Amino acid sequence: MTPDPLRFEGREVPVLDGDTVASALFRAGVRTFSRSLKSRRRRGLYCGTGECPNCTLTVDGVPGVRSCITPAAGGMRVERGRGWPSAEHDLLHVADLAHTLMPVGFYLKTFIRPRFAWRMAERVIRRATGSGRLPLDAPATRTVARYARCDTIVVGAGIAGLTEALAAEEGGEHVLLCDEFAIGSRLAPGPTLDAVRALETRARATPAIQILERHAALGLFDGPTVPLATSDELVQVRADRVVVATGATESHQLFPGNDLPGVMLGRAASAMAALHGVPVGRRVVVVASTAEGVEHLRVLVATGARVVALVPAAFVDEVPHEAEAILDGELVEARGHGHLRSVIVRELGERRRIACDALVLSTGLRPRDELARMAVDEPVRLVGDAALEADEPWLVGGYLCLCEDVALHDAEQAWAEGFHSAEILKRYTTATMGPCKGAICGHALACFARPRADAADVSGTRPTARPPLRPVALQTLAAPVHEVIEKRTGLHDAHVAAGAAVGWSSGWTRPISYSDPADEYRAVRERVGLMDVGTLGRFLVGGRDATTLADAVFAGRVEDLAPGASRYVLALDEGGYVVDDGLLCALEDGSYLLTSTSGGAERMDSRLREWAERLGLHVHVLDRTSELGAILVAGPRARDLMGALTEDPIDAASLPYPGHRELTVAGVPCRAIRSGFVGELAFELHHRRSYGPQLWDSLQRAGRDVGVSPFGLEALELLRLEKGHVYLGQDTLPDDTPAKLGLARAVDMTKPWFVGKAALERLAELPPTRRLAGLIFEEATDYGAALRGAPLTVGAAVVGRVTSAERSPVLDRAIGLGWIRRAGDGFPDELRAGNTIARTVPTPFYDREGTRVRG
Amino acid sequence: MAELRTWAPTVTSVLASVEACDRVGDLPGACRVSPGEVALVGDVSEAAVAAAVVRLDPDGVVLDVADGWVAHSLDGPGSREAFGRLSELELPIAGSRVGEVAGVGVRILVDRDRIDLLVPSMVSAHLRERIETDCAELLR
Repeated sequence: MTPDPLRFEGREVPVLDGDTVASALFRAGVRTFSRSLKSRRRRGLYCGTGECPNCTLTVDGVPGVRSCITPAAGGMRVERGRGWPSAEHDLLHVADLAHTLMPVGFYLKTFIRPRFAWRMAERVIRRATGSGRLPLDAPATRTVARYARCDTIVVGAGIAGLTEALAAEEGGEHVLLCDEFAIGSRLAPGPTLDAVRALETRARATPAIQILERHAALGLFDGPTVPLATSDELVQVRADRVVVATGATESHQLFPGNDLPGVMLGRAASAMAALHGVPVGRRVVVVASTAEGVEHLRVLVATGARVVALVPAAFVDEVPHEAEAILDGELVEARGHGHLRSVIVRELGERRRIACDALVLSTGLRPRDELARMAVDEPVRLVGDAALEADEPWLVGGYLCLCEDVALHDAEQAWAEGFHSAEILKRYTTATMGPCKGAICGHALACFARPRADAADVSGTRPTARPPLRPVALQTLAAPVHEVIEKRTGLHDAHVAAGAAVGWSSGWTRPISYSDPADEYRAVRERVGLMDVGTLGRFLVGGRDATTLADAVFAGRVEDLAPGASRYVLALDEGGYVVDDGLLCALEDGSYLLTSTSGGAERMDSRLREWAERLGLHVHVLDRTSELGAILVAGPRARDLMGALTEDPIDAASLPYPGHRELTVAGVPCRAIRSGFVGELAFELHHRRSYGPQLWDSLQRAGRDVGVSPFGLEALELLRLEKGHVYLGQDTLPDDTPAKLGLARAVDMTKPWFVGKAALERLAELPPTRRLAGLIFEEATDYGAALRGAPLTVGAAVVGRVTSAERSPVLDRAIGLGWIRRAGDGFPDELRAGNTIARTVPTPFYDREGTRVRG
Repeated sequence: MAELRTWAPTVTSVLASVEACDRVGDLPGACRVSPGEVALVGDVSEAAVAAAVVRLDPDGVVLDVADGWVAHSLDGPGSREAFGRLSELELPIAGSRVGEVAGVGVRILVDRDRIDLLVPSMVSAHLRERIETDCAELLR
C-alpha cells in the first residue's frame, strides 16, 4: 500500500500498489462513477480499457480523466464531475423520468418559438450538462512537440504488434513501435503475458526498433503521419508504412438495463480481479460466448464469487465446476434501481430471474480499426485482432451510446423520422459523437442502420472515423504551433547586466526601463539618451531595378532620392491600407537601406519579394535585421556625445535631417541615420551586430559628462507620443489609409503608379468617416496611460476610442491619440473619455516646427 | 549521443541571377537559399566570389553577413535523432537544406552524423534552449 490515500469527495480511499484510480475507488465501494449526459442515469465501470465514458472523473482539478487507466497515487484529489448536488444523489435524475419530454433531437425542435426561449433553455442545458469544470486557474504547463521518422510505425504493442515490428526490422526497416500503455501492463499473469514479455525482450534488444510506451495514437493524416500524445509531449511520426495492431474491444450489447452499474465487459471484470485483486461482485452472472470469455469466467470464479455462467453448449466442459452453467441460455434483461439487482435469462424457453450484483459480458469482439479507417490511399495494414470481422451485436433494447445517452428507441424514432443512414443518424441523435468517438457504439449504430438501409435501398455504411482517437488536451494539439520564439538583439546581455526590466514587444525581448522611466524621459529631453533599436527591420534592396521596386511598393516618390538622403515611406496594400512604414536611405551604389518597424520586418520582406516577382524586376533583397545592431543617440546633447567619439563631420550640413552617412564611432564602422520620432536631435547608429557591446559601452562612458542615460520602451512611449508619431498596430486599424492617419504627406498621387494608388483614388471620392486625432484631456493632469482604450463619447453615442495616452511633462496635461468617427457634418472636437473631457488638437504636441529634430 | 557546439560561422551571402548563383552553388559549404540566393559557409575569398558573380550578373551582391548567423552543431551518432525532435525536415546523407527547426528558419549543412544549424543571431538563444531542453538525454 502506498503511504498516502487519495481523497475522494472528502473521504480517504486507500491506494494499493498497481492500483488505478478506478480500482481504488471500486475497492472502497464506489459503484456510481458518473452520471449520464442527458438523463443523469448512474454509470459504473464498464469497459476497463479507457474507451467508454463511464469512469471519467475529475482528478486533481482536471476533468474527463479516464480513471480505469489512470494510475492512482497518494494525495490525489478525485471527484465526480456531474451531479447536483452530488453524483450520488443527483436531483437532476428527474430528467430520466421525463425522458418523453426530451426525445431524440429535442433541441432541434423545441424552444424554437418564442425565440428568446432557446436562450433561456440553452443556459439551463449548459449548466446541467458537461463533465466537470475546466481548470482555468491551473498554472501554465508546456507540451513539447517533436518529430520522428521511421520506415514503419506499428501502433499497438501486443503480440501482433510486437511480431510485426520484429518482422519489419528483420526486413531491414527502422521501426517505431508505440502503445497507449506500458507494454503488457494491462494483461493479467498467464500465457498471453508470457508471450508478450518474450517478444518485448527481443524487441528491446533490437536497436532498429524504437519503442514509445504510453504514447496514444491520435489519428492518421497524409504522409502518412501519425501523431502520438502523452500528457507532456506530442510526437509527429512520419512513416513510409503504418501497421495498425490496436487489437479489439469486447462488443457492446444492447439489451434492457445494459447501462446499469454492475454491468461490465469481461476485460474490465477480469482486470479488476486479476490485476487489482478486487472482486466485481458476490453473485456474478457471466455471459461468455468466446474462448476469451471462458478465461474471464475462470478468473472470476477464482475470486470466490458465486458465478452463474451463460455459455454455448459447446463450452460445457470449459466451465469450472464451482460455477452454475446455463447452456445456450439467452440474456433478456438486467434489472435494478441505481445498481444491478438481477438479470432475466431465458433457459429452455422459460424466463428465469437470477439475483446478482455483477453482470459480465464477453460475447465477441469489435476490431479497433479506426486508425485504418482514417486513411485515404495511405499504406496502412491491419493485423491481429484489429483485422477481425466484427461480431454482430444484440439490438434488443437499452442504451446504444453511453456518451450521449442515446437509447435504442431513440435510434428507432430517428429512423422513423426519416434519418436513413448511419451517418445522418449519428448527426441527428449525436450517437458516436461523445468522448469515446464511437469506440463503444459506432459498430452497433452501423449494425442498426445496415439492415434497415438495405431494406430501404439507402446507404448504411459506418460513420466516418475521425481524429482524435483519444481524449487530448487542447494544449497538446497546440504544441506544434505554439512556438514562442524570443528574439534578442546583440545588446541583450548588456541590458540584463545593467538591471533593465525586460519585456516582450513585437516578438523581441526589449528593455522596458533601466531605472525610473521619468528620469530616462528627462535625459532625452534635456541631455542625451541611448536606446537599443536593433529590433528595427533592416533590408538591403539592390539590383538594377531597385528604384523601380521602391517606387512601386512605397506610396511616396523615391526616384528623386539622392545618395545620402533618406525619406519616410509608407507601404500600402492593394486596398490602399497601410501595411508598414519605414525609412528609405539611398546609398551611393544605387541600392537602398530600408528600415521597417520592429514587428513588421517579415511583412516588409515578403512584400518586397512578392512585388519584385510580380513585376518581373531584377532586384536583390537581403534581410539584414539579424546581422545589424542599432543604437539611437537622442537628445539636445547627442551631437556633443557623438563628437567625442568620431572624427567624421556630423554637423547639420554634413549630416542633415533627414539624411544618413557612414561614420566611424568609437572605432566602430556605422551608418548613421538622422531620425525624428522622439522629437529631438537623434542619430541611429547601425553597425555590425558583434560591435554592439563595444559601441554601447563607449557611448555610455563618453556620455557621463553630458548626463547620458539609457532609456527603454516606457520612456519611448511618451517621447514618441509627444512627437505625434503613430505606432502602427497600436494606433491603427487594418483598414487605415494614409489620410485617416494624417500621413497623406507620405503619399505622392502624381506618381504614375504604386501599390494601392487606384484604391486611394476611389476612396478620395468618398467623404472621410473616421480619422486619428491628437487629444488633450482637460482634467487628467495626474494620469495618462489609464485612458488608453477608453471609449470617446459625444452625449450617449460612442464615436471613437483612445489608442495611446500618457501624461506629458512638457504640456503638464494628459495627451493621446484616438479614433474619431464623423458625427453629422464633421468630426467632433470635444468628447468625453471616461470622467474627463478630451479636445482634438493638431499633432505633434511637441517640437511642432521640427526645429529640435533638425538640430 | 551527440555533442552540441555553438560557434560563429563565416557566412557570405550571394544575391544574384540564377545563373550566377548556379556558378557558386557548388562551392564547398554552399547552401542554396533560393534560386537567387546562395549562402557560403566557411572561409571563402569574397573578392574571388564577387568576381565570379559579377561576370554573370553585374548587379549581383556579395556580402559578408557573418554577424547575422550563429551555428549550432550536432555531432555524433545521436545527431539525427536529436534533429528529428526539432523538425520534420528530412535530411540528406550529405548536403544542405533550408527549412524550419523549432519554429525558426535555418540553413542546414549535413555531413553524415554532423548537422550544422545556421540560425539568425537574433533567435540563436531560442534554438539553443530548445535543443538543450528537447534533446537533453541525447547530448553529451
